[in-house]
Amino acid sequence: MSPDHSRSFVTAASDMTTPPDEHFDVIVVGAGPAGSAAALVAARAGLKVLLVERGEYPGAKNVSGACFYGSAVLNELIPNWWEKAPVERYVCRRDLVLMSETTAVSMDFRSAAAGYVEPPYNAFTILRPKFDRWFAAQAEAAGAFLLTSTVVDDVIKERGRVVGIKVRREHGEVRGDVVIACDGVNSWLAKKAGLQRDLHDHEVSLGVKEVLGLDEAVIRERFHLTGNEGVAYEYVGAVTQDVRGGAFLYTNKSSLSVGIIGQVSSLVEAKKRPYDILEHFKSHPAVAPLVRGGKLREYSAHLIPEAGWKMMPQLVAPGMLIAGDAAGFCLATGLYIEGINYAMQSGIAAAKAAIHACACRDFGKHTLARYTELLWPHNVFTDFRAFKHAPGFVNGNRLQNLYPDLVAHGTEMLFQVNGQAKQKILPLSFKVMRQYKVKSRHVLSDLYKVARAYLW
Amino acid sequence: MHIAVCLTYVPDPDTIEVDPLTGEIDSGRTLHILNPADAVALEMGLRLRATGDTLSALTVGPIEAETVLREALAVGADRVLRLWDEGRSGTKPAVTSILIAAALRTEGLPDLVLCGGRSLERGSGKIPALLGEYLNWPVVTEITELSVDAARVHFHRRLDRGARSEGEVTMPAVLGLAAGGVRLRYASLPGLMQAKRAAIPARDLPDLGLSPLDLAFPSSTVHAAMPPRPRPRTIFIPDSSLSPEERIAQIMSAGIAQKASEIIEGSPEDMADAIIAFLRARGFLDETV
Repeated sequence: MSPDHSRSFVTAASDMTTPPDEHFDVIVVGAGPAGSAAALVAARAGLKVLLVERGEYPGAKNVSGACFYGSAVLNELIPNWWEKAPVERYVCRRDLVLMSETTAVSMDFRSAAAGYVEPPYNAFTILRPKFDRWFAAQAEAAGAFLLTSTVVDDVIKERGRVVGIKVRREHGEVRGDVVIACDGVNSWLAKKAGLQRDLHDHEVSLGVKEVLGLDEAVIRERFHLTGNEGVAYEYVGAVTQDVRGGAFLYTNKSSLSVGIIGQVSSLVEAKKRPYDILEHFKSHPAVAPLVRGGKLREYSAHLIPEAGWKMMPQLVAPGMLIAGDAAGFCLATGLYIEGINYAMQSGIAAAKAAIHACACRDFGKHTLARYTELLWPHNVFTDFRAFKHAPGFVNGNRLQNLYPDLVAHGTEMLFQVNGQAKQKILPLSFKVMRQYKVKSRHVLSDLYKVARAYLW
Repeated sequence: MHIAVCLTYVPDPDTIEVDPLTGEIDSGRTLHILNPADAVALEMGLRLRATGDTLSALTVGPIEAETVLREALAVGADRVLRLWDEGRSGTKPAVTSILIAAALRTEGLPDLVLCGGRSLERGSGKIPALLGEYLNWPVVTEITELSVDAARVHFHRRLDRGARSEGEVTMPAVLGLAAGGVRLRYASLPGLMQAKRAAIPARDLPDLGLSPLDLAFPSSTVHAAMPPRPRPRTIFIPDSSLSPEERIAQIMSAGIAQKASEIIEGSPEDMADAIIAFLRARGFLDETV
């Protein structure tokens, strides 16, 4: 009826008729820190990169504390990244706190050393929905093709080699030379490709986190911070009740990230609900004054791979690499709770291996094994091997619950003046140990384990 | 047949975060989506389209609004067009509908224009009516179902209090779709990838044969903005001069009095004055008006 359709709405409609036979050099699944880093590096090398994300935008589904210890890693990719990225505060204070129900004993670290307060800084607190979106946009700007709201269901295998992915859409097959799986702790792809077994419930922890809005000035005053300084608190002890795990509190620009981490198997054993533990934690006398007046802005939960060295899947298959949380690259040793930096480093290493494979047009296991070789100089493997004994031991009941309680109680007795004769520290310690029915045999063996885990 | 669908780019209510401290929306975290009612209109358009038919999608908005057109391309729209007057920060329904009407005239009039009934953002629901006015076409709003038979559109409308009505209208016509009940189809992977790469054509005022004067409406001025607050309610207080028994009876009745309605008569001026006095007495009008 309208006479003149032909000249109207000049569009790319003609493009739509071209066959969708697309081939990518690299397909990255998951636009978190590992995926975006891999896509960024590969795209910069001139490869044709597809980055697939299941959320409506990168970061929509991502949860983390989030304290990002690895500014220097990112600085190599994007110089002065903190000036462009949505960061919250740089961390120059850390507090390790041992807790009993009533008492907290902490080691407070604060530094104005250049490594902490000057570029490239040591660590930043970030909010992942903002940060991941920014980071994926960098990969997109470098030329990677970002596809959101798209779930990857399976890998396409041909003659034993991964040659692409199947997404949950019509005609959802995309082919690529190398598939890099960065799809998180419960990596569907790693399982589909037969590289990872089902995880045990003692290998993963559940993190539950709240973001509490608080005025910037109040945060500065309450945490003794000036300017954009930030603090990271990490807690162990009675705060998680019978559950093996810990808690954290990080300062953002105008909010706090507060959360607890509980080993899944012990949550099941103790029949405790993670959000109850979080509420319990927030009402602890040492924590309540810090979170007072905070208004709930966000609530999220996520699994954390915690077994480190011992739960790593096979990282390489013909045509496929695994990076980030999917590979179990999360270091939870008590001293460190890090993951974003390892995710990025493994993503970069995977991209380098893919670039190498694309250069020699060989995507077999042996060429791609360059990835695992690169993980050594990128200090991923070294760190995990060095602390390979830590996770099993950190997650022990005595260390998580008994000793913090013991130390807190001992300190209570040490400082209490009640007219009774003062005792020196050693007899006092034995007294407390007797009270808690701790066997010296156990203490000695735990001391040995601590030493093995952290000293040498 | 040529079907045109009007799409709007609106903030996703799920991502709107109001800073509890300042009461302002954190715009850095707000994402935009295709207006749900428009998604219904698009899906209805796709279902109506037979072989040989054309489905075009239009939007009025800045470059970011291209995403809704890409979404339309991904699910199978044949043509897309973005309309914008650079330098404009937002539009009102009147401006939006003038731009759309002008674009439809210059690019080839369709047989049917489908719109979402109202947007998530303003929700005034004016666009279908204004478009009908500018195109001089019939308008049907709140449509829940529709089918086309030759040049006639058979439709079901949603009325107040759950009622429905049925009717027919002859093409060309503007149809406003009610949100809900219909889901936009899921794009195929190749469709999605090609839509993401497609170049989205845009038209500005000169392209549409409009001058800025055509869009110059007396602008409304915001004097003050405050959070909505319910009007104070008068609490019933029993008359102290009455006997306790009567007072208790009054309290037990919860102060419900029969609503008195009043019919105003007289000259139009007198009636207008009486209405204004009535509204003012009940606090609906500002004293300065």
